[in-house]
Formats: sequence, structure tokens, C-alpha cells
Amino acid sequence: MQISTSPQTSVQVKPMKSMSPWAIARRKFVKNKLAMISLFYLIIVAVVSFLAPYVTTIDITRINIGEMSLKPSSEHWLGTDKSGRDVFTRLLYGGRVSLLVGISCTFFVVVLGTIVGSIAGYFGGKIDNMMMRFTDFILNFPFLVFVIVLGTIFFGKLNGLAVLIIVISALSWGGVARIVRSKILAEKENEYILAAVSIGCSPIKVIGKHLIPNVLSTIIVQSTLLFASMIVAESGLSYLGFGVPSEIPSWGNMLSFAREPDVLQGKPWIWVPPALIITLTILSINFVGEGLKDAFNPRSRR
Amino acid sequence: MSTMDLKNESFNLEKNEKETLLEIKNLKTYYPVKGGFFQRTIGNVKAVDDISFSIKKGETLGLVGESGCGKSTTGRTIIRLLKATAGEILFEGKDISKLSGKSLQAIRQDIQMVFQDPYASLNPIQMVGDIVAEPIKNFKSIGKKELKTEVMDLLQKVGLPEDAYYKYAHEFSGGQRQRIGIARALALRPKLIIADEPVSALDVSVQSQVLNLLKELQKEFDLTFLFIAHDLSVVKHMSDRIGVMYLGSMVEISGRKSLYDEPLHPYTKALVSAIPMPDPRRKANRIVLKGDVPSPLNPPTGCPFHPRCAVAMDECSKTKPILKEVKPGHQVACHLY
Repeated sequence: MQISTSPQTSVQVKPMKSMSPWAIARRKFVKNKLAMISLFYLIIVAVVSFLAPYVTTIDITRINIGEMSLKPSSEHWLGTDKSGRDVFTRLLYGGRVSLLVGISCTFFVVVLGTIVGSIAGYFGGKIDNMMMRFTDFILNFPFLVFVIVLGTIFFGKLNGLAVLIIVISALSWGGVARIVRSKILAEKENEYILAAVSIGCSPIKVIGKHLIPNVLSTIIVQSTLLFASMIVAESGLSYLGFGVPSEIPSWGNMLSFAREPDVLQGKPWIWVPPALIITLTILSINFVGEGLKDAFNPRSRR
Repeated sequence: MSTMDLKNESFNLEKNEKETLLEIKNLKTYYPVKGGFFQRTIGNVKAVDDISFSIKKGETLGLVGESGCGKSTTGRTIIRLLKATAGEILFEGKDISKLSGKSLQAIRQDIQMVFQDPYASLNPIQMVGDIVAEPIKNFKSIGKKELKTEVMDLLQKVGLPEDAYYKYAHEFSGGQRQRIGIARALALRPKLIIADEPVSALDVSVQSQVLNLLKELQKEFDLTFLFIAHDLSVVKHMSDRIGVMYLGSMVEISGRKSLYDEPLHPYTKALVSAIPMPDPRRKANRIVLKGDVPSPLNPPTGCPFHPRCAVAMDECSKTKPILKEVKPGHQVACHLY
């Protein structure tokens, strides 16, 4: 990085863009091998999953009684499940659903949590009190019971996947709201926020343009970790049978075959692949999250 | 701005020299102290307790006092970052202390602020160009190219190189950062600039550069300053008139010369005697105050200074002295006069 402050050098060096804090973080992140490998793995999983129809042409819904519980072979790379469906194909399509649920839940949770947290933190006083008590209320809901109850209420009225996403998002934003609020409380004491008010920025602009960008690193790190826990939530609920409707393949749904003792003991090819891919995905997401945390931390020089 | 405009403005300056730009009447700003189970207000920190003064167009009023005496609160109340508890802030004859919404935003064009801490007062993730452009964008809709030219112009006026536009605040030194803050305050061509200890965070060598820059800009843009500081020599260098604050009250206001040569209030006398003189032969005749500043939560009755005053009388603990003109242009709040 070249710092040229004297007028002489500025003549030779064309006014070049200097590195923003974002660019510095990006450079640090790229140097982190574990995080980069994890990111690479995640991209491959995502791309292959979302391009599933182009990767394999096997029909995932057709039940083939003649090919029940086959061991892995050249025809069925990961074997078939108890209904004769190809495990590899279902793994790809399942990845689509699991990642979709994870991404959309994370998105809604982060957006909702950031809005609530930043408004509560910036305005303080009564607004803060009201919003945070409501957040406490949401946080106190027994998650599992509510997912089951709300799922039942909405069942049949909406697409099963949409219900799951809405229910998980509506119950999970409290943590993000609290973290964002605490960050905003600390950040708003800086004089540049007073300066922003004094140069005529409206409260929305102060929050959107000055406060949130400065706490965005925390939000991004939080959302990666949240993404992992959302995939776990989807898998867990589907395993129990309250998540993604059973006709749609997802990693959690595939894992739920392991509830049967003979599958768990004698047919590992049915449940090991989804278990493995869930574990690896969550591990990678967490490594990426850690990498981002280090990258955004000005004190870490790795 | 062309030279024609400049000439016109300096002509206007001469014409309006006596015009009052800002008048503060009985301003009070209290911070509520919450306590108890229901977070009720159980008391007030009287940060600014009934002060009045005025600033004429084109002049610099210095505000001095020790930390916690309410100087910064006064400044922040005038620019409406804080809400006044009572009193009037007349800007060009209009009371701005109760404005809100659009009319409050409109007044922000005319009053701007330079902040104390150049490290905290600039958004770390904005480019310097964007920091300086933001006030203009908030109020005027002008094209990208014109905006950039104007920002470049401002940067050059405060003595920053052109390529500063593309840099971030963390790449600059304290003095340069303060220049960026000044450019931001200037961007809207305000009439009044409140400088809240603009140099107290800077090296002594850089202080004078920034002070001289402020003086030059004052001439060029016909600015009026409310200059808040705790360094008496800095205030002396900058101000035409000086107000001395103690515990939320104004104890003395006067022209620069008369304040430093013949301070009237016992507190001002003590302050002036504490200015270090670069002359070893001169006998230091310091007045050392006893005790500490009382808590503004529970200020003393009568004159706020009487517990520490060497010449306090009975009356001082009973009634609060009001600011009265003792000599032409020299006001003091003390029962001695």
C-alpha cells in the first residue's frame, strides 16, 4: 500500500483508490487456508446441489420396488434407499432443500434481527424497552413446541417448505437483535454519529449509512454461524418428522431413515452420506465464520 | 466561488458588522438522573444552568472553563444535538430551541460543528470524499461531477492533497483528520461554526496550524465561531470576546484584551494567573483555588463559586449573582461589583 500525502507524489501517482477496511478484511480472509478450503467446499456443494437436474437425470420421486436397499454400485453410486430411490440423487436434491431453508432462514432472521436491534439500540429509552421486552418474549418461546404447533396450523394452507422457513425465522431472530443492539449501543457513542446528525442525516440514514455498516462485520460473522445452526435446525426437525414434508428430499429427511434399527445397523449407505455431508457443511460454515471473524478483527494479523 | 463573490461578501461583512447572529437567552440544559425501581427521574445534572450571551456576525466567541463546566453541552445544545430544558436560542432572530423535523433539518445548513476527537468523529468506513460530500448530498441535489469538483475544492481549501478524496480516515494523522472534519463542517457554507475543543486532541505543533486554518477560513467564508476550549492561550489567540463558564453558569464575558488584562471575577483571576508565561524572570503570581468543583447534581446555593472563593461574602451563599455590565463590553456575575 502506498501512502502519498505530499502534492509532488500525487502528480505522478494517479489518484489511486486506497484500501477500504473491507478490502483489508478480504485480503486477510484469502490468506486463511482453512477458511478458503471450507469456502471452496461449500461453493462446490451449493453449485452441484442447485444444478442437480443437470448432474443426474434419475427421477427422485419414482419408487422402484425392484431396486430396494441396494448396496452402492456403478449404477447407484451410493446405493438405493428402502423405497428403491437413488441415494446420490436424493443427496443432491436434498442439498438444494437444506441449503435453501438454511439460506432463507438466515436471511430473514438477520434482516429482522438487524432492524429490531438497530432501532432499539439507536433510539433507546421507551422504544428500546418495548422492543427488547418483545424480543425476550420471542426468545422465551419453547422452540420445538412452537414449530410443531405453528406447522400444524399452517399445514395444507401453505407450501410445507415455506411454513418451515417462516416458523423458524419468526422464532429465531431474538439473538441477532440482542447482538446488533449491543453493538449499536457501543457504536453510537462515537462522535461521527453526532456529526452525521449535525450534517442533517435523518435517523434512518444515520442507522442505515453510518451505524449498520460499522457493525456489519459482526452481523456477517453472526449470520454465518447462524446459517450453520439453521441447517442443523432443519435437519433436526426433519429427522423428528416435523420439518420438511417427507415427500421432499432433504438431508434431514434422508437422515430420518436411520430411525429404523435395521437401516442404522445394516444399511449404512442410506444414512451415512447425509450425516457426513451435514457434518462437513456445518464444519465448513463454522470455519468460514471463524475466518471472517479473524479477517474483520483489526488486531489479528495472520 | 469567484473573486467577485468574495468582494461582495467582504462588502456585506462591513455593512453587517454589528448584526447579532446568535443570541442565547436563559438557556438551561439538564441531564435527568434516573434511579429507583421504575427508573424515575430522581434528579437533574444541571450541565448548563441559565446562561445568556450573544455572538455578532463575523466574530469569534471563546468559551472557556474547566472540564465538566458545561461548555460542550452549551455547544451541543445550540446545534440541537441536545434538547434545551428551557430558554431560547435565537439564530438570526428566530428561536430554534424548539424546532423539530424539517425546520430543524433546515437550520442545520446554517450551523455546523467541528468535533473534539478527530479519531472518533470520522466514519472509519467512508472515503474522505464521501465524508465531505455527505452534507451537500443531504441538502442539495447536484450532479456527480459538480459534487466532486466542490469536494475537491473544499479539500484543497483546508490544505489537503487532492488524492485524499480516495483515502480513508485511518490513513491520516490527527491534524489532517481535523482538517477533514473542518471541510465537512464547511461543505454547507454555514453561517455559524461551533468548534468544540477542535485542537485539544492535537500536538502543540499541529494545533497552531489548525487554528490558523480556522482563522483563514473565517475571513474567506465570513464565518462566525463559537470556540470552545479549555486552553486559555488557544482561546486568546482565536477569540474576539471570551466567556468564562463555571459549573454551568457564565461568570464573566468580555473582550479578549480586557479579560486577560483586568479579569474581574475571582475565578477568572485564578484562571488567568495559571497561564504559563515563557519568561523565566517573570514572577509567577498564581492564585491557587482550594477544594474541588462541586457536583453539578447538587450545586451550591447562591453563587456557584462561593465555596472556593477567597473573597466570598455572606451574600454570596444566599443569592446567585446575575451577569451585569461593569465596564463597557465587560460583563461579570459577582456580588463584588
